[in-house]
Amino acid sequence: MGYDLHFGWTGVIGPVTLGATKAEGGTRKMAYHIGGGTTLPFLDTTPPSSSPLVALEICDNPEYWSPIVRHFCGDLVTTADDWAKTAETVYGADLVRLYLTSTRERNFSDIVSIGKTVESVLQATALPLIIEGSNEPRIDSDVFQKCGEVAQGEKLLLGTAEASRYRSIAASAIAYNHSLIAQSPIDVNLAKQLNILLREIGVQRDHIIIDPYTGALGYGFEYSYSAMERIRFSALKGDADLGMPMISSAIDSLNIKEVREADPEQQDDMAVQWEYYTGIAAAVAGAEIISVRHPKTVGLLKNAFASFKKSADFSEVK
Amino acid sequence: MIGVNKPVTDVKSAKSNGENHLKMMIKAINHTISYDETAYHLPISFALTGIAVHDQKTALDVFNRTNSNPMVALECITAEKTAADGREPPPYTGFIDDTVIRKLGYSLVDGSILGLALVVGTPQSADRAAALCRELQEKYMLTFLAGDIIASLSRAGVKVGLEYRLIPLGSKPAYGIHFVDIIARVAMMFGGVTPGDIHRLLTYAAERARAIVIVFPGLSDQEIAFVDGMRVLGFPILSLGDYEGGDWISALPDEVVRRGMEIKGIRVNVTAIPIPMGCSPAFEGKSIRKEEMYVEFGGGRTPAFELLQMVNAEEIKDGQITVIGPEIEAMKEGSAYPLGIIIKVAGKMMKKEYEPVLERRIHNFVNYGEGSWHVAQRDIVWIRISKEVVAKGVKIEHIGKLLASKFRMDFPQLLDAVSVTLITDEAKVLSAKKDAEKVYEERDSRIRGMRDSDVNTYYSCTLCQTFAPNHVCVITPEHPALCGAISWLDGKIAYEIAPSGANQPIEKGAFINAQNGEYEGVNKFVKKASHGEIDRCSLYSLMEYPMTCCGCFECIALMLPEVNGIMIVNREFKGITPSGMTFSTLAGTIGGGSQTPGFIGISKNYILSDRFLQGEGGIERLVWMPSQLKEELKTRLAKKLSDQNKSDLFEKIADETKATTIEDLISYLDSVKHPALTMKPLV
Repeated sequence: MGYDLHFGWTGVIGPVTLGATKAEGGTRKMAYHIGGGTTLPFLDTTPPSSSPLVALEICDNPEYWSPIVRHFCGDLVTTADDWAKTAETVYGADLVRLYLTSTRERNFSDIVSIGKTVESVLQATALPLIIEGSNEPRIDSDVFQKCGEVAQGEKLLLGTAEASRYRSIAASAIAYNHSLIAQSPIDVNLAKQLNILLREIGVQRDHIIIDPYTGALGYGFEYSYSAMERIRFSALKGDADLGMPMISSAIDSLNIKEVREADPEQQDDMAVQWEYYTGIAAAVAGAEIISVRHPKTVGLLKNAFASFKKSADFSEVK
Repeated sequence: MIGVNKPVTDVKSAKSNGENHLKMMIKAINHTISYDETAYHLPISFALTGIAVHDQKTALDVFNRTNSNPMVALECITAEKTAADGREPPPYTGFIDDTVIRKLGYSLVDGSILGLALVVGTPQSADRAAALCRELQEKYMLTFLAGDIIASLSRAGVKVGLEYRLIPLGSKPAYGIHFVDIIARVAMMFGGVTPGDIHRLLTYAAERARAIVIVFPGLSDQEIAFVDGMRVLGFPILSLGDYEGGDWISALPDEVVRRGMEIKGIRVNVTAIPIPMGCSPAFEGKSIRKEEMYVEFGGGRTPAFELLQMVNAEEIKDGQITVIGPEIEAMKEGSAYPLGIIIKVAGKMMKKEYEPVLERRIHNFVNYGEGSWHVAQRDIVWIRISKEVVAKGVKIEHIGKLLASKFRMDFPQLLDAVSVTLITDEAKVLSAKKDAEKVYEERDSRIRGMRDSDVNTYYSCTLCQTFAPNHVCVITPEHPALCGAISWLDGKIAYEIAPSGANQPIEKGAFINAQNGEYEGVNKFVKKASHGEIDRCSLYSLMEYPMTCCGCFECIALMLPEVNGIMIVNREFKGITPSGMTFSTLAGTIGGGSQTPGFIGISKNYILSDRFLQGEGGIERLVWMPSQLKEELKTRLAKKLSDQNKSDLFEKIADETKATTIEDLISYLDSVKHPALTMKPLV
């Protein structure tokens, strides 16, 4: 003790609200108010910093998904709403992140089905949702319009805006009052630039979550860590254009050589370990949301975060 | 207008008549008024005043508060009429619901609609109306229609409806009022405009709404008053009818859309270049050898030049290509012909000083062509076109098309219109070249004259922070970026094109140390941009607080204490230097964004600057550089030295043929009596 755990910083990480309860115009069972930090995570401060949220990633067409997860989850992956429900009730995720992988089919044009998928997932789970739209600029406009529209009032987190492709997602966020993920390629200045572009088009600061892009551990994660750290330092030093919460998703973790080439019976463990350690490090660098694909990683991360908190006694850790 | 039989409407008198009439009508309101399916009441009135109008009393209140605004009056009157009589039958939409507006607003933010247009009145002919609307559709404008124009379109077989981006608001021009209530709602939904914040509403309408109004004849006085009232929102009113007086812009049918879009700065992005050969940076490195060449221009064989100049928007037509003289069919394979390339550009943000910077891009763009090749610049250009692409149908004209399209594509913010003239007629090339030479000379004298002391704003470059996290380049007229690729003008343009990009303006502020080029403003900027790592930065000193280095420097300058001088080594030189280190060893020592007194990264051109090492006493400190670099700079450096009466210095600067070790360097410098030896000690 006796240290200034705010290091003379004056900046605050601006709050972002995800999800809306019935009273707030949505149908979620809770709304998360993330951000608000004034120093680095897991320090012994008053009030104590809040634990990062853990999101489980799911999709609506498992053809485009990791075989490890497909194998682990079995038939569950064929219906996005059951999968979402299980993420909440069995795996214990804080958030569900739905990737609309069905849009990756060649010449995809069934925008109506996108709306139906989002609606049914919203009905299946009461957790706040992250929705990842298309991967194809040609249909971006329609996809994000549809997602935004059917989930109006739910305060979604929409992903993922990039410097070369942010207009549709920004339009959806503004029109239907959602937040969005702004991704830049591991570069503090590009992260800031994208935030400025988003602001200029009309997205409020408290509707932006930064994704500095996360490489898998051993596959460039140290660059991501450094970018996250520098984004957070700049924000705490008072740069409001970087003063937003961060999300980290090391999506390559399940594809790396060590996991791919592991013995079949060890593959799950290997995948979980890789996601787990990457997630821990990203949380230490400041990420407010850790997004993972393997269901088993969810609980492990949540336990770890609980144990990091000063106030945690051992009864909190199972 | 003498001799014309058609009645001509005087906008001013019609407007004042109309306003009086509207005033009477709003006073005559006696029913409850409201619109369905909106959370914004009567949106124009609500946006302007924050008051929800629902009866005569509230209507008059808003009308008075807005200084009897004709749009407010017409909104209230139209709402009363709609509430009483119901909506007009299809295809007319009447008042549009909020849910539809949300979708429209989405398309505007999203960029799938570029802007909004309102077209009102009675077209002189159905075909004319159809052509106009087709042009608006092609240019990604969302068009609202009110009045007889709708009937005209249906006679011409043009389909209307949201899916066609042609929205028929109502049978009378007065229904154009819905255009304004849509914009008012878009401003409140998307623009963060709070109801009643009239200032923000007007700013949003003028700067963000990107809307134009096109007026055909046949408007009543009230309608004229309403249309004229939209000028306050910053919408240009373009008249195709018999209106005169007032501030309407009269236009011809085939230019009205372009003019309106130009006034509001709405640009259609060029995405494909219509020429029969590939065009991509991938082709930039290829060369066209003599045996592959169909025809060539310049290169000392024939007179040739290129010139880019800025003109007013009215003086050119965007995309117009003119070839004066023989086309490619009339040229003999394997021969050389004269060529003049004259590019005229226009744009609201374009400035005369950008001309040379843009002109240099001709080089890149011509090389992007699969079968076109370009070297050098100005009146020493050399251009070739390959047999292969001439066989595919490429003509001289297509080089013009390529240039016009690429300029529009790469400088969308800067340029609204580009036209290209290609001259292949020898006499005409020669006479145009004389004029071009005058322009080159004027530019040279302007740039030559440009000093750091002439400007208050320098530019930063943090492009390299990706790998040198705290590096900040400070670029001044006499101190280009250390990579040599970005001059002060480039920095300025880059900032104007991308205001949140890597080149930011730096107000230099007061001098802290004039000799070393240390400024308050620069220090402040560098401190912030280096994330607090660097407190001070002198632009012209290598010893005290030198600028940081990324890793891209063209050369490294470093102090040699043994000879009280400074040596330079360029990237291309692989050998050992008198410092005992090679370029790559040195680069590894000083790069990465750190400040290393005694060492700096510099561009080649900085060596020729009057500010070169000013802090250490200037060019006389220079004791060694590789012969190849010396040769490269020879003409310009020798001239500069002779201008300063130091002609003998050039020979006194050693190179690797004179010395590769510090001992050899000492004895060489002694033998030639290099001035550095007797200068003030560096350390």
